[in-house]
Amino acid sequence: MNKLVQAISSAAEIRCASQRMRELSRAENICPDQVLEVFERWAAALDANVVRQIPGVTFLRLWLRRGTLEPILFRELGQGCLHGEWSDQGGVRLRAFPLGVVGHWPAGNIEIQPILSLSCALLGGNGCLVRVPAGLVEPTESIIEKLHEVDSAGLLKQRIFAASFEHSRTDLHEAMAQIVDGAMIWGGLEAVSQIRALPFPHWARVMVFGPRFSVAAMDAATWGDRNQQSSWCRRIARDVWQFEQQACSSPQTLFLERGAGYDAAEFLQGLRTAFQEENGAHPRQQIEPALTSAICQARASWLLDDPSHSAWFPQSPDWTILEGSGCDVPKPTQGRTLTVLLVEDLLDVISRFDGAVQTLGLAVQDPGREEALAHAAGSHGVDRVVKLGQMHIFGSPWDGMDLVRPMVRLVRHGRSHA
Amino acid sequence: MSALADIEQSIENLLAIPPYELSPGERHSVLLALLKRELAYGSEQNSSFDNYVKHWPVDYRVADRIADLPYLPVAVFKANPPLSLVLRAEITRTLTSSATSGQIPSRVVLNAATAKRMTRSIVTIIRDFVGAARRPYLVIDTPENTSPQNQLGARGAAIQGLRSFATELFCCLSRNDLGEVVLDVNELFKFAAKWKETDVLVYGFTYIIWTHFVLPMLREGISLDMPKVHVLHSGGWKRLQEKAVTKDIFMRDVAAVFGCSTGRVIDYYGMVENVGVVYPDCERGNKHVPVFADVIVRDPLTLAPVQAGQQGLVQVCSVLPTSFPGFLLLTDDMAELIDYDGCPCGRRGPYFRFAKRVPKAETRGCGNLETARYSPEQASHA
Repeated sequence: MNKLVQAISSAAEIRCASQRMRELSRAENICPDQVLEVFERWAAALDANVVRQIPGVTFLRLWLRRGTLEPILFRELGQGCLHGEWSDQGGVRLRAFPLGVVGHWPAGNIEIQPILSLSCALLGGNGCLVRVPAGLVEPTESIIEKLHEVDSAGLLKQRIFAASFEHSRTDLHEAMAQIVDGAMIWGGLEAVSQIRALPFPHWARVMVFGPRFSVAAMDAATWGDRNQQSSWCRRIARDVWQFEQQACSSPQTLFLERGAGYDAAEFLQGLRTAFQEENGAHPRQQIEPALTSAICQARASWLLDDPSHSAWFPQSPDWTILEGSGCDVPKPTQGRTLTVLLVEDLLDVISRFDGAVQTLGLAVQDPGREEALAHAAGSHGVDRVVKLGQMHIFGSPWDGMDLVRPMVRLVRHGRSHA
Repeated sequence: MSALADIEQSIENLLAIPPYELSPGERHSVLLALLKRELAYGSEQNSSFDNYVKHWPVDYRVADRIADLPYLPVAVFKANPPLSLVLRAEITRTLTSSATSGQIPSRVVLNAATAKRMTRSIVTIIRDFVGAARRPYLVIDTPENTSPQNQLGARGAAIQGLRSFATELFCCLSRNDLGEVVLDVNELFKFAAKWKETDVLVYGFTYIIWTHFVLPMLREGISLDMPKVHVLHSGGWKRLQEKAVTKDIFMRDVAAVFGCSTGRVIDYYGMVENVGVVYPDCERGNKHVPVFADVIVRDPLTLAPVQAGQQGLVQVCSVLPTSFPGFLLLTDDMAELIDYDGCPCGRRGPYFRFAKRVPKAETRGCGNLETARYSPEQASHA
């Protein structure tokens, strides 16, 4: 079998693949329903041992299910979108057509991100040219191999060209940018800035999912509820553990709103226990030494900066809880390092957000209060407000943007003999 | 006797014995006890340091391994003002690290007692490698780095540290009218001719020696015919590695320029935060730890000490400083621990080889495109 992620050394290989996918896309329209059929089989095939251990594959299996994606398609493309037919809207006919070929530049730290990204473009019937970061070649190949097993007709596999090449090969990045009609770019500031500056055609639709971080917040009635404390702590630990806290949806800081009669010490003890248990269930297998250094540095500078600060951590770099007070979000450390800050009013915190915060994980007892906090968050640049414990659930919209619709063209047809 | 006086006496006792003769067991028990007293002293002097020590997961007072004592990452010395255990009026000198462009340098403060110990300890270490005699001292650097100053950079500190060996000092680099560093070839020839039969000590930063000394001399095909030199050099290898200059090439070409054997070219590892301790290569190419210090190589995954033969993050330990809390420091360097004892060169205690600098960690949004793989976090709760 050919390598499913091909090591590319020339621009001609990229142009050739793109040309082939573009012709296929024009000659053979596929509708979302056909894509969903294959996705269902793909999701089932991902239950195999060889891929189950890849971080995020459990979520990917859920994501690829019809039950997950149909509501997204209905919301973004309309109720009648599944079969790719024209829909009548006030005397005018509308139908979604693919852009053509969509280029994908996924981030290097989320194993399933190449697949999540291309799945959005495939739903629109596009061909997908995916530049797979060096560290993700192996998991991406394993996941695509499962698609090949279930897509014998080649409906989707012919629409994917996964390529790997050196980050420094500007010529290949440029070649890729020049021949796409759309792009989905994910990553840190430096990476997205470089990719965004590539010579895309003027008509290309470029979606950028740039560097963001996320925070969590709880009101006193919630964190002070002894019956629910351990459950909330487990949820927080799960959100912190996933993706080594390097995803934009990972909570870096937890704000606890003070309340009369509530003592945070008990909650923090529960959080320590939850972190210890999560670490026992999901121990690290490897770490970059630079991250170990950063964790040690975060622990030390937190405690040295202010003698009123506290912290809890084991001798290993496995997890860290830093505790203090204040409304500002400290610089994120990642690597399972959560800063817990006590505040008087969560609204004071949210009103300082400036667009860098992607997700606000909330645990607030009073619905009216939650409504007010969600409104404030939306007004201050937050794109997702979710329940604590569900911060990583990928869905549309993401970063405030639809995921499928930007990669299709809605063609309007006004009948000539109406 | 005050706690500080008691500590200082213990340090003096250690400085008085040969630096590489204690067995690992003897060294460990002596250092553990002294480091605990220093941690207690440091905690009394600085409330921030006390806060750090109090939150360490192991109570240092009952720890029975140096590896369990609370260590600081070296980057904490980039803080302003620098971490200190003495009053401002007692600070006689501030050492700064050689931060590369864009980085904040580390700063450590010295009082008179720590500075004095620094000089003594460097002499103790270096004489074990090059002998105790005083001799002419050739500095491959510009003169501005050789004068004692209140603020001293890493290059200046290294040059000053070896001054005790010098009968006379000559800097062979200078700046021309354009401010460029140039080799003063004529004066160098005179120095070489005068001392060709004599033991001479040479020191320079590795990159400076290569760029401003070896390359110009090789271009001209010059050999100085100074077979009795000892060339000590320190500083990072990163810029030389970028030019594909390996340690072997460096030693070969330096030896060729001086007309000496490669065994007389000695690389040593050190940093300003680990004041007074340097780790020269022995004739087997290993770096050794003097009795008043220790090195622990830690597994980045667990931070536990590694087994012999494994690589990890370098933690340096030193009983020498009493003006700043530099007793136990986790560096951003990786090294291979060769073994805990038994180097064929005869020096006792742990010995290691420098591997590489840890690249700077960057926080990521959804990650840079080119990050290495990390924890295969289970996704059961996705």
